[in-house]
Order: sequence, then structure tokens, then C-alpha cells
Amino acid sequence: MKEPVIVIGDGVNELVAANSLARARYDVVLLNRRAAAAEDPFEAGWVPPKFIREFDLERYGFRIHRPDPWAIVWPEERELVLTADIRRSAEAIGNLSARDAEKWPQFCARMHALAGLLQGLYSAPPADPMLGSAKALARIAMRVRGLGRQGMHDLFRLLPMSAADLLDEWFESDALKGVLAGGAVMHLAQGPRSGGTAFNMLHHHVGSPAGVFRPPLSNMRAALARRTQVEVQDGSVARIEVRQGRVAAVVMTDGRELAACAVVSGLSPQRTLLELADPGLLDPELVRAIRNIRTRAVSAQLLLTFDRDPRFTNLVIAPSLDYLERAYDHFKYGGVSPEPYIEATALGSSGNERYHVQVHVQYVPRRQRDAAWDTQESEKLGRNIVARLSDFAPGLARWVINQTVLTPADFEHIHGFPDGQPYHAELALDQWLWMRPVPALAHYRTPIEGLYLCGPAMHPGGGIAGLAGAHAAAVIHRDLKSR
Amino acid sequence: MSYDVAVIGAGHNGLVCAAYLARAGKRVLVLERDEVIGGAARTQEVFPGFKFSVFSYVVSLLRPEIVRDLDLPRHGLHILPLESTLTPLPDGDYLAQWGDHDQNRAELARHSLRDAEAYDEFGRLMYQMARAVKPFLGMVPPDPTSLALRDLKALLRLRSGLRSLGAKQFHALHKLLTMSSADYLDEWFETEALKATKSASGIIGTFLGPRSPGTAYVLLHHYMGEIDGVFRAWGFAKGGNGSVSAAIAAAARELGVEIRPNAPVERVLVRNGRAAGVVLQGGEEIEARTVVSSADPRRTFLQLVGPEHLPPDFTEAIQRFKFRGSSGKVNLALAELPNFTCMAGAGPHLRGAISISPSVEYLEQAYDDAKYGEVSRRPYMDIVIPSMIDPSMAPPGKHVMSIFVQYVPYQVNGGWTAEKRDAFGDTVVNTLAEYAPNIKSAILHRQVITPADIERMVGLSEGNIFQGELALSQMFFLRPVPGWAKYKTPVHGLYQCGSGTHPGGGVMGASGRNAALTILGALR
Repeated sequence: MKEPVIVIGDGVNELVAANSLARARYDVVLLNRRAAAAEDPFEAGWVPPKFIREFDLERYGFRIHRPDPWAIVWPEERELVLTADIRRSAEAIGNLSARDAEKWPQFCARMHALAGLLQGLYSAPPADPMLGSAKALARIAMRVRGLGRQGMHDLFRLLPMSAADLLDEWFESDALKGVLAGGAVMHLAQGPRSGGTAFNMLHHHVGSPAGVFRPPLSNMRAALARRTQVEVQDGSVARIEVRQGRVAAVVMTDGRELAACAVVSGLSPQRTLLELADPGLLDPELVRAIRNIRTRAVSAQLLLTFDRDPRFTNLVIAPSLDYLERAYDHFKYGGVSPEPYIEATALGSSGNERYHVQVHVQYVPRRQRDAAWDTQESEKLGRNIVARLSDFAPGLARWVINQTVLTPADFEHIHGFPDGQPYHAELALDQWLWMRPVPALAHYRTPIEGLYLCGPAMHPGGGIAGLAGAHAAAVIHRDLKSR
Repeated sequence: MSYDVAVIGAGHNGLVCAAYLARAGKRVLVLERDEVIGGAARTQEVFPGFKFSVFSYVVSLLRPEIVRDLDLPRHGLHILPLESTLTPLPDGDYLAQWGDHDQNRAELARHSLRDAEAYDEFGRLMYQMARAVKPFLGMVPPDPTSLALRDLKALLRLRSGLRSLGAKQFHALHKLLTMSSADYLDEWFETEALKATKSASGIIGTFLGPRSPGTAYVLLHHYMGEIDGVFRAWGFAKGGNGSVSAAIAAAARELGVEIRPNAPVERVLVRNGRAAGVVLQGGEEIEARTVVSSADPRRTFLQLVGPEHLPPDFTEAIQRFKFRGSSGKVNLALAELPNFTCMAGAGPHLRGAISISPSVEYLEQAYDDAKYGEVSRRPYMDIVIPSMIDPSMAPPGKHVMSIFVQYVPYQVNGGWTAEKRDAFGDTVVNTLAEYAPNIKSAILHRQVITPADIERMVGLSEGNIFQGELALSQMFFLRPVPGWAKYKTPVHGLYQCGSGTHPGGGVMGASGRNAALTILGALR
């Protein structure tokens, strides 16, 4: 094969796909959108250990950051500190509720068993119950049965439930329920009382040890970029050239045409299939389904630099289920939550008394009902968040020496997230497994021969580093081998 | 005297169950705590001359096999179609959905050509899915977590049934089961009033808003009604919903069932781990080899049986079963018909349903109030005027109006009081008056029913009209408790037959029939 495989995008999935294909001895060209950042950005998500080994990431400066304690709730008179040590967490919970403390170990064990099942499902491409092979389906059935009766009942009950219902069954402490529900609404345009949020909590628990309900942060993307030895071309893609139903080349905005034997895109399905390729090539029903992929963004990010150690690992502002639900209420009608759900994660120091903190802010809509996102609006958001953080960590505002705000609009413009949604497709039960992002695309192939998808809109989705890229690469390898 | 079977509760499910058991030759006694039979499907002359379907007010899913097996028309069941739905809008316009296809299409096109185009295709897809799902209603749900041969066989049958759907419909069904009704309808339509009126059926009896996943599934029920071919999607029972119960009771009596009103059961008699009969309030003991309870799971197990006879994890699961009544009822006796601003006069629209659901946001805001323990300031209302279709419901020239209201939380802040109930009644009348200004002066009498009243009057825990929320985590083999969804209970000889079991909800009768067939060992 003379033409290379072209990988569009430089997210962690694209880099995994590029590296996997290069290792299988394909010529790979990677099309970069953004310039390399001065510092390694940290992204939240489970890093499957096999990638660390397979790509020897540690040689390339790979760092994984597991905040421990993984949740700190202030104000200090009602402090709750949750750590990876289940016994210590239980002791901390005991200050709020003896009953909850007693239940904590069992809760952790039951949730961890279910997350383990998800982890198994995520480690392979999705098997469609209607179209999947009997072997793949049998394997899944065996895995599910492996949970045992109690585990299976937990699973079927829990998946469609709201996080609020699940947590109310287990616990009475508002602070504990708030922290756990934070992970259940993370990046989802739903409040904790909406169905399906218990599932989202499990998704964000995958890969973490029992008792830790937040994914770690890592610089996997930066480390992989350093490792990547394939040809890299900077610039943006203008269109994907299709000839006789088969992908032929990628045309750049500067007019360059790069011939390809296959193209794999980490961009969203909407961007890839409806904008870069000609939607006229697709079945109108598929076009409609792609337009219907839900991509509502809910979060903004604040990058803060402090002149002193903030003395927290991961500060969580989600004091109760009602607090989160009210934050969601404003968002539903197009407003920024006046009292948002906030997580401030300390990333450590870069020397010279510079401490970096990454802040997740939810709910922030892509489109505000009464305002458009501009510099003024995003500065206002930044000010409000710092003020809000100061309510919980008095004095914090004075430590800030630099701050950057990334609104959903920024995520859309800078990173190409559709509507600013980092997972490209919301993680909900109807956009999960063989339904992700839509059934016709769930297997990484598209109706255009030689064109593949590998972004977070693909199974297993966002919040999990690189698996969609690895699954896509395996499919491409299989297809090209049999050509 | 000793009976083969004692059935607790003479609601429609209890009566259906009793009738089927008697038909198989069992000696059956039905015990009803009230003087009126029918449970929540009852007609009462609440005000002199004015008869009301006090609680449940329409019929849609009554199983055709039950109508046939028990020959209900001969026993007085007569269903009159309810064909139109009018949604008045705040700006004085309206959206009407008519039974006539062309008329309906023209009306939709007035709002959106695109929606008029999509409507038929939407209907076709829903119809196909309803056909696929319908057999589930009549089956004892197999437990996918069990390794019993019978369960595995049933699962395989179920799987092949689903396979015959084809991938496209299967994926659509998956979406329907997991999505919010707002999102699901957004994929098809753009007219707010259409989406809101349709998604309203998805929130009935749940404590979820139209944007919450899990609310789309109930959209199917509407189409299931149509398939049965007995009547169109929704209907009125002539004489009110009490006549459904009365017809089933008449059929049951003819089959030899004895029905005792004013016979409240205090507890189920359990001897050596098996049901032996019941004890009535006042001490009377009635022996029966089998006891079937149509009361909801909480009442049945925590009150009538008692945790001392149950495995602790079962009791815990029953305690976890969610009720959370979210709806109330306002019944009005009217001196004259309401005059809707958007469609003046006494036209055919008054013979159908009137839905106060102008937009999805309106419903969602109604839910927001309830989430924090208040009655919706502007509630969703489903209104019918039974006297328009069946004049015997009201004195000549006068009318009865039934208003189903959501959201009305059972757990209202500060608890329910007489003042709160009145305030709730006022909210409903005031909201309605925005669309039909003459309503206030037309009211002769008003009956206001809160979830707490429903609980007190008919014994439905927390006033939940479905004997437990119809949410995905409480359906099929999970209803009411995983592992105990087959009408059997941990107490040998004690069965459940209420809508707290699969398939639950609505005046359907399927739970009663499935339970009876289970008891008779006729279902495999």
C-alpha cells in the first residue's frame, strides 16, 4: 500500500490510533490542529495500564496524578475528607453519620464490582445484541453472570436510576451524597435526580480503586505526542475527498491534498461526516441520526496559578443533592448556575512558588439565554468562580496570580468539541455501547469505505483515555489486511 | 367457612384475579375494606346528582383478552371513544389532535409542515414497537439473573421475539426505554405544544420531569391501546370507571366469587411459613389455602404480613420500592360548560381531553416546584368532561369535570393540611381560568384530592396511582423486587396481584390475570 493512513486530530485517541497503526507497520500521517502547549496539560480519565506498558509511556515523561484525598469538602467545621483508604474515609464519614460510615465499605465494594463489569465491556468493541457475533455476546453474558445474582440485580436496577435515588438508599449525609453525585453528573446535561445518572457515576468510577469515585488526571496525551514518530503535518482539514464511495485523500485549508488509503478521524461524527465529507453521500436517515447526537456542554474550566500551596488536593463544592439539582435548574433554562458545582484539583508546583490548580465548573451552557460568550462574559465567570471558591477556602482569591477561563464556546473553538462537549456525545444509556454515538457508526466504520471514527464519541467514550482509538485501530488493521 | 382463595382488595386487579380463579373452579372470597368496590376504579355520586370517576378516569389498556374471557360487555362494560386532545396555548392559539387523520394533519401543518410530515412516520414506528412490546404485558417476567431452566427458556423466547423486530426497531426501542421523552420527541418534532402534550403521558405517575431519561417509554402505551382494536387509544367507560370494576365484579359473581365489602383485612394469617388465611379488623378469621393481595407491596408485606415472616433482605427491598405519589385530582360539578378562549363554545373539543401542557419548559418548571416539596405553581392538567359523552353522569344541563393534576408531591413541605389542599384546588382552578375564564363562576361543587387523600381513601401508599413508580428500575423482572417479580412471595401460598407487580399501572388488569394464571400453574 503506497498511500498512508491519515489520522485527523491530536487527542489522546488519535495518538493511540496513530501509534498502534504505526506499530503494525502502516505509514501514518497525523494531522495536528494545535501547537504543542508549553506545559503538559492534564486531562481527567482512566488510563488503561496496558497503554503505559505498550507505549512505554514512562520513558516519555508520563505522569499520572491521583489526588489523595480525592475529595475534600470544606468549610472546615463540617469537613469531610475522602481518601483511597476506605477505612480512613469511613472514619471521616463517621463524623457526619455513623450509619453512613458503617455502610461505606459495602457501598464501595458493590460499586467497584459493577465498575469492573463496565471496565470489561469497555476493553472490547461493543457487541450489538442484534448484529453482534454470538461469541462476543456470549462473552458479555458470561461477564454479566460473573457478577452473581446480587451483582446482577444491582446492575439492572442501578443503570436506569437517578444518582439521587441510589444515594438516598444508601446514605443520609448531604455532604457525602453531594460529593458522589458530582461524579454522577460530570459532563452530563442532567441533574442528580434524572434517570441514568447512577450509570454516569459508575462510568467515572471505572479503573479507579474501590472507594475512589473520581478518575485520575494524566498527561498521557503529551507523553504520547512525544513518543509519536509518525509524520506530523500541521494545519486544518478542509474536506475529505471521496471517490467512488471510497476515501481518497484529505484536502487541507491551504489547498494541499494528501492522498490516503484510509482516514481515521478523532473529530466529532458531525464534523467528520457532515462537514468534512459530503453529507450527500450518506443515507438521509443516518444524517438525521448524526444531527440528533446529543452534545450539550455543561462545563467550563478555570486554570489558576497560585503563589502558594493551596493546601488541598481536590476541593469539591457540591454540598448536597439539592445544591446540584438547583445548579442544574438554571442551566435547563439557559443560564449559568449562580451556585455551580465546582471541583478544584491541585496539580502541584512548577517551581518558583507557582502552584497550578485546574477547576471544573458545572453547569455552564454553550449558549446562554441572555448573553453570548465573549471576553467580558468569560471574565465574569472567572471572577464568580474565584469568589465562590473563596467562600469555601477563605483568602484564596488573594493567592491567584494568573487565571485562564475556558468556556464551552472556547472548547468548541479551540478543541473542536461539538457544542463544547468534551465527550463529543453525552454519556447516557441511549448513547452507550452499541448505541454510541449512533448504531450505524458504533463499530468505528462509516458508510464511506476507508473512513473511520476514533474520537470520544465512540465506544467506550470520554473519560477513558485512548480505548476508542485502540479499538478503531484494530478495526482498520483488520479491514486493510483483508483488502 | 373455608375458601380455596382469599383475595385482599376489590380493585380491578383483585376482581380480575378472583374471576379467573373462580373460572378454574376455585372457591374465591374477595375482601374489600371500603363499602364501595373498585378501589381506584370507582364511580361515586360525590355531590347529589353528580357522578365522578373519583380517581382513575380513562380506560386505555384494559387487556382485550380479559374483556373477552370474562365477557365484560355482557356485564355492562361499554367504552366510549375519547378521540381528540386540545392543548390551549397562552397566546390564545391552540393545538388540537383529532381522531380523523386528515383533520389532524391539517391542524399540525398549521403549526409546522415538518411535524405534519414526521407525524405519520413517527406513528408507524411507535406502532411497530408497541406490537413488539405488547406480548411482555401478558407474560410472567423471566429473571435474567436466574439459572432456572424455565427462566432461560423464557429469555430465549424473548430474545428471539426481539430479534424478529430487526435491528432498526430494536435500536429505536432501546432509545425509547432509555431516553427522556423531551429528547426523544425533539428528534421528531418542533412544535412545543405537540412535544409537551405527548411527553406529558411519559411523566404521569412518576416523580421525574420530561427531560429526565426514563420518561420516553410510556409514549408507547398510547399506541398499545390502538393495537388492541377494542377501542381507540383512550376511552371512557359509560357510567364512569366504576363500571369497569362493576362489570368485572358481575362477571366474577356469576362465576361464583363472593365479594364482601366493609371487610378490612388486618393481617395475613401465616402458620409455619405459609399463608393460612386472613384476619379481619375486629378479629374474624377466614381460612384460605391461598391468599392473594391486590394491595400494594408496602401495604401487603410491611403491614398485612409483617417483617417477622419475611427474609430481611426482602423486607429491605420492599422498603426501598419507590412510591412518591406525584399527582392529584380535582373533580368539579359545573353549572355550565367551560368556554375556552382559544376555541369558544361547546364544540366537539369538549368531548375529548383538554391538556394544559403548552410547552416542555412549562412541564419541566412544574416539576421543579415539586422537586423541592411544593405543588406546581402552574401544573400540568389533563381534563375531561365525562358528562359530554355520558349525560347520565350529571343532572340535565349540568356537567362534571375531572382534572388530573401533576405535580402534587405526597411529601409536601410542612405536610398536607386542609388549607394546603384548598390552596392546591385554587391553583388548579386559577390555572384553568387562564384558558377558560368562565370556569370560576361555573363551579357548583369542588372535590380536591391530594396524594395523601388517595392514600387515605383507597390505600395506595404515598398516593402513587400505579402502586409504585413505573420507572425502569422498578419494571419487568424488577417489579416490585428483583427475584420476586413472578407474583409469588417468600411466604408460601401468598401471592400478589396488584399493579405493584409486572406490568403494573393503568386500568389494565394484566397483573390480576397473570397472577391468577400463575396461581393456577397455567403459565410456563
